[in-house]
Amino acid sequence: MAWNQKISHRLSAASQRRANFAAQRRRAAYLFILPALIVLGLIGLYPLLYQVYLSFTDWYLLTSPEPIFHGLRGFERLVTDPVVWASLGRTVYWTVGTVVLELAMGMGIALLLNRRTVINGVLSALILLPWVAPSIVVALTWRWLLDSEYGTLHYILQSLDLAGRRSLLGSPATALAVLTFVSAWKGTPFMVIALLAAMKSIPHELYEAASVDGASALQKFWYIMLPLIRRTAVAMSLVLGILAFYSFDIVWAVGKGGPADSTTLIGVYLFRNFFERKEISYAATIAVSMLVLLLIFSAIYVWVFRQRDS
Amino acid sequence: MFSPKTRTRVIDIGLQALTVVVVAAMLFPIIWLYLTALKPQGQMFDHPLAVIPRTFTLENFGRIWNTVGFPQAFVNSLMVAAVSSLVSTILSLLAAFSLSRFEYRLKNSFSLLILGMQMLPGIVIVVPLIITLRGVGLTNHPAGLMVSYLLLQMPVAVWMLKGYMDDIPVEIDEAALIDGANYRQLLRMIIAPLMLPAVVAVGAFAFMLAWGEYIFALALITSTEARTLPLALQNAFGQFQIDWGMLTAGGAIIAMPPTVLFIFFQRFLVSGLTSGSLKG
Repeated sequence: MAWNQKISHRLSAASQRRANFAAQRRRAAYLFILPALIVLGLIGLYPLLYQVYLSFTDWYLLTSPEPIFHGLRGFERLVTDPVVWASLGRTVYWTVGTVVLELAMGMGIALLLNRRTVINGVLSALILLPWVAPSIVVALTWRWLLDSEYGTLHYILQSLDLAGRRSLLGSPATALAVLTFVSAWKGTPFMVIALLAAMKSIPHELYEAASVDGASALQKFWYIMLPLIRRTAVAMSLVLGILAFYSFDIVWAVGKGGPADSTTLIGVYLFRNFFERKEISYAATIAVSMLVLLLIFSAIYVWVFRQRDS
Repeated sequence: MFSPKTRTRVIDIGLQALTVVVVAAMLFPIIWLYLTALKPQGQMFDHPLAVIPRTFTLENFGRIWNTVGFPQAFVNSLMVAAVSSLVSTILSLLAAFSLSRFEYRLKNSFSLLILGMQMLPGIVIVVPLIITLRGVGLTNHPAGLMVSYLLLQMPVAVWMLKGYMDDIPVEIDEAALIDGANYRQLLRMIIAPLMLPAVVAVGAFAFMLAWGEYIFALALITSTEARTLPLALQNAFGQFQIDWGMLTAGGAIIAMPPTVLFIFFQRFLVSGLTSGSLKG
């Protein structure tokens, strides 16, 4: 029986070593991720939870130096605030408009760039420049282009009878539509690149087989390409839609939500409450409500993909 | 009338021309910005359609540079973007190593937390973040911005770096570990050097995110000394409305670094960003 004992002894020593090794591995795994988690916890998670607390308080800097708990009254004010609903309406218009324009322009440009030529390789890199441009530069550049006296684009639009003497950005009737276009202009490159990557991953044989069967170019687009890039198009629409819903910077930099509140998106209204009116707790209430909407959006996003995958 | 071959040739050239025109139209606002920045003051308001200057000048750049606070804002932007991108790239590399190479119980929760932070739009975190930073005395100080920008940079940097790291075969790790390397050495001496171009590209992307950032800077900085470039340009825009040459030169100075960095690192960033956002 000695050999038996010997083997079991060896086995337990080996499993001991393995256990030590596993513990060491686990410790290393946690140590490596710890610094990032601490930073994200301090500047991400903690402020987020603090904001939830603030949303249940009353904190108006001009009357009280400290937040005072007052339950759901902030949310009551929110749902009865007509400016919130008006801003939300504009934000929905803005979001849907941005995504539809991004899809349309992105699909068109991606189709044009999909033919493999040297020039298209260069253009595919350059097309990203609007997306990379800092938002303050985008905002001011479009203000200049649409300037009612010297703006190049304003001059063109005016000669086409699409603009009057006033800048399109200066009139409450047109400012939101124009800025929605600017927002789509900035986001389209990202859509182009994603769609282009999806188009290029389609095997060439599929088109060739369809050609042999006598399919037209339109049929090839409709029956081969479109089903294969649909997943990418849906995913990008959701990502860019979420980005658009929380837009703030371009609108603020162009005209702080004006003229006459016509471009006051929900994000602009949040910032105005915080920055100009010092109504900190109300800004937090708006932010928390927007976050709840984000969670719902994300859940839809995940759900759509589960459906697709199964 | 034409042979089929000439016909496809004509269509090819036509489509190529159309592509160039469409992309040029998309880029027009950016081209306009640079051309206007290079236009002499005397030609500025000749005609709205006279986009291309008859002669080129750099005097606009000199004027914006001599505007009060602009050089200081340039230094602030450079410092804030450089430090925050360096710190976030290092921390993200460590985190990506943990997520790419180890299996552990809380991994999924950690991934979810980082993903959640990536989805978090700046506007919904700005209020409590500013109050938190105010609580520790970091308002009106570039350090406050450096810290805030880690929040923008780290989540996306972690995902991109993890993506590139996953492509490095685990066999390399095993070989290094058998040779007696510890995990720190494995990351520092084997994995990081292998993916160095990707690490640099992610660092450049983090730099771009911080360089032109607007919301946090707007909410956190009110003093002239602590201003970054976007705020300095906005301020100059309010003061010198009619000096388009000077203001477009300022815009060009802000737009140029991200543009150059992006074109330079384009290949790494495009694949990382599109696959990252689709996986996410």
